[in-house]
Amino acid sequence: MKHFLATVTICGLFCVSAPAQVSFDRLVRAQREPQNWLTYNGNLGSTHHSALDQINAANVGNLDLKWVSQAQSLEKFEATPLVVDGVMYVSEPPNTVVAIDTRTGRPFWIYEHPMPETTYVCCGNINRGVAILDNTIFVGTLDAHLVAIDASTGRKKWETVVADYTQGYAVTVAPLVVKDKVIVGPAGGERGISGFLAAYDAQTGKEVWRFNTIPHPGEPGNDTWPGDSWKTGGGSVWVTGSYDPEANLIYWGIGNPGPDWNPAVRKGANLYSDCVVALDADTGKLKWYYQFTPNDEWDFDSVQVPVLADLSWKGKPRKTMLWGNRNGFFYTLDRTGGQFLQGKAFVKQTWAVGIDEYGKPIKAPGKSPSLSGTDVWPGVQGGTNWYAPSFSPHTGLFYVTAWEDYHTNYFTWEQEYEAGKSYTGGGARGPIPSIRREPFIKWGPEWGYGVVRALNPVSGEKVWDYKMRDVSDAGILTTASDLLFSGNREGYFFALDAKTGKELWKKYLGSQVAASPITYTVDGVQYVSVAAGHSLFTFGLKTAR
Amino acid sequence: MKFRLSVILFLPALAMLYAQHGSTPDRPFSTPEDEAAGAQSFRSQCAACHGGDATGGVVGPSLATGNFKNGGSDEALFRVITKGIPGTAMTAFALNGREVWQLIAYLRAVNIGKAAEQVKGDPTKGAQVFNANGCGHCHTNGTAGGFVGPDLSEIGSHRSLAQLESAVLEPDDDVGPDYWSLRARTKTGQTITGIRLNEDMTSFQIREASGRLRSVWKTDLASFEIVKTSPMPSFKGKISGRDLEDLIAYLASLRAQTNTEGQAK
Repeated sequence: MKHFLATVTICGLFCVSAPAQVSFDRLVRAQREPQNWLTYNGNLGSTHHSALDQINAANVGNLDLKWVSQAQSLEKFEATPLVVDGVMYVSEPPNTVVAIDTRTGRPFWIYEHPMPETTYVCCGNINRGVAILDNTIFVGTLDAHLVAIDASTGRKKWETVVADYTQGYAVTVAPLVVKDKVIVGPAGGERGISGFLAAYDAQTGKEVWRFNTIPHPGEPGNDTWPGDSWKTGGGSVWVTGSYDPEANLIYWGIGNPGPDWNPAVRKGANLYSDCVVALDADTGKLKWYYQFTPNDEWDFDSVQVPVLADLSWKGKPRKTMLWGNRNGFFYTLDRTGGQFLQGKAFVKQTWAVGIDEYGKPIKAPGKSPSLSGTDVWPGVQGGTNWYAPSFSPHTGLFYVTAWEDYHTNYFTWEQEYEAGKSYTGGGARGPIPSIRREPFIKWGPEWGYGVVRALNPVSGEKVWDYKMRDVSDAGILTTASDLLFSGNREGYFFALDAKTGKELWKKYLGSQVAASPITYTVDGVQYVSVAAGHSLFTFGLKTAR
Repeated sequence: MKFRLSVILFLPALAMLYAQHGSTPDRPFSTPEDEAAGAQSFRSQCAACHGGDATGGVVGPSLATGNFKNGGSDEALFRVITKGIPGTAMTAFALNGREVWQLIAYLRAVNIGKAAEQVKGDPTKGAQVFNANGCGHCHTNGTAGGFVGPDLSEIGSHRSLAQLESAVLEPDDDVGPDYWSLRARTKTGQTITGIRLNEDMTSFQIREASGRLRSVWKTDLASFEIVKTSPMPSFKGKISGRDLEDLIAYLASLRAQTNTEGQAK
């Protein structure tokens, strides 16, 4: 009895259960609470657009640095943070989660995932962000685990093995929460993996469904892979998908086929590599797919963000999906059935002579990778890549960070698969580094350059350009005040007029911006945050505290 | 030539000598004598940061849990000692190969969790004592439990048997700064309390009892104090005798997973 009383006394002071912070209903209606940034792209339709308008063309020149949060890791900082009721949750490389006070930049807690001595991830120890449901934060790890963390304490709730990291699998994607499930898939397109998307019970971490992005024998699409080539067919997952609650469909972009540059060993369309797949959110069953680059020869992962936009199409309302693809084409699809509506090159490209009326690209002759090398536009990093584009319902325009007039020299050779090791069947050469390794800019426009490009989603035509010297791996944020925020490898973070592309403000952050900006409010005042170099920078108007 | 031959003859003899002393075949210099030499090296080279008994110091973490953040295999420990860890205070140490292996022999021997082998109580019964006294209301254990008190999931790898007993009977004796509380009154008369997670010149970051994370500007406060006592009641006289021995045995059994093979969990 005494013990019971003691327990009751302690509980009276401290044992109130933690608040359920973010219901799925809040995620669905994220656009109605622009003070927060609740999902990877701000809302489940992934428009990367905010209804906030305190910062506008007239006052953006007064933007001032509020705080900087320096990561402890020196790896590339690609993550997009979440902000929930004044608390920011962000993953620092390699997969450390930090809860940050948005007023001061100070941490509340830090979760460090214990790592094996060696991981086998391609292209950098990167994590792109976290997801939240109720009071739980979800993060994927480079040893291919999915971890659930208590949002109040930073303590682990559960941990699930997604795949075997020693075979080249890793989780770098920010998870997507749909209803009571957490959805992720593995990176490893250059490691001979066989990809999948999997949904896990948010409460327990138990796998609920799995969709093989490279179909196994007996599954539809396996016949697009000769012999056992599906086993090392890639189809990686490394950028977060979108969700349409009315259709109950999730949309997800799938990575390149493997080996990247040797299509001779995988003759066929190689489904569902370089596709967008539409899956039933409850079962993971395929509703439709659209393949941007059948039998890809150039590493054109279709891992871009599926942007869901309701447009007026030939006088009628239409539910569409906008897609600036790594292959250099800008697509508008019908997202209920996957019909191709339009597709136009948005950067210089030479691998296709065009797209037929059914949406299938017509490949140009002589552009396959060769032993001596073949020049192809766009280059290996594509016309765009993983960083967020944006759609503004205010301007009706689609905004994409593009690499213009950029090519590389693609080569191919025979390669035997060895588990966990690089399996690419060739490579690419070019003057512009695929991933920035040093602070110098020594190439000029003759090798390609970066632009923020505004496109009309109905005509596919360019509306305006904001031209840079260097290329860019920065995503785009637009706001209801018709501002556009982005950055670049030159280290600038800038604000443009979303209607015209006119530069309104810029700041040099000392290292490349390779992340997507977000906006939210703190004590009712609008802030903008973006990662650059190894740090996270937060700006607000000078009048703010 | 004679010399070379003698070396060749000497090597198997050396191996046999190690075998007799219980040396690990894959790791040279791991006899009890090497371990003692390693302990000497530890005191002169490592203890300033990692503590005299390797359980952690002002700079370096505990090396006595059996789990090493930068890899626990022989290869990883050798690399960390000889090359350091970039971006941290752990720099490279100019020791010869023999000295490094002897240090590793010492690190293999100091494992606080080994104390669990000397417990008098029964950990299974101790789990019942833990539950009957509602410890889990405030303490995380594995993936369950409360968050008011420290996470006990690996406490057996961090605290000696005597420390565990003291924490149960005299909780105020050793309250770490992670569990100090802020008790404050704002200029508008509002009372604010919570676990102090962070404090700088201008602000506090706290976790309120509800689990809510929030910050407070110091300029908004009329008064504040940092409470350094434990909200945990003493269990002196409440848990004793066999029950206490069983509880300590249970807490000692909650240990970190070792990563000496260099594998993930």
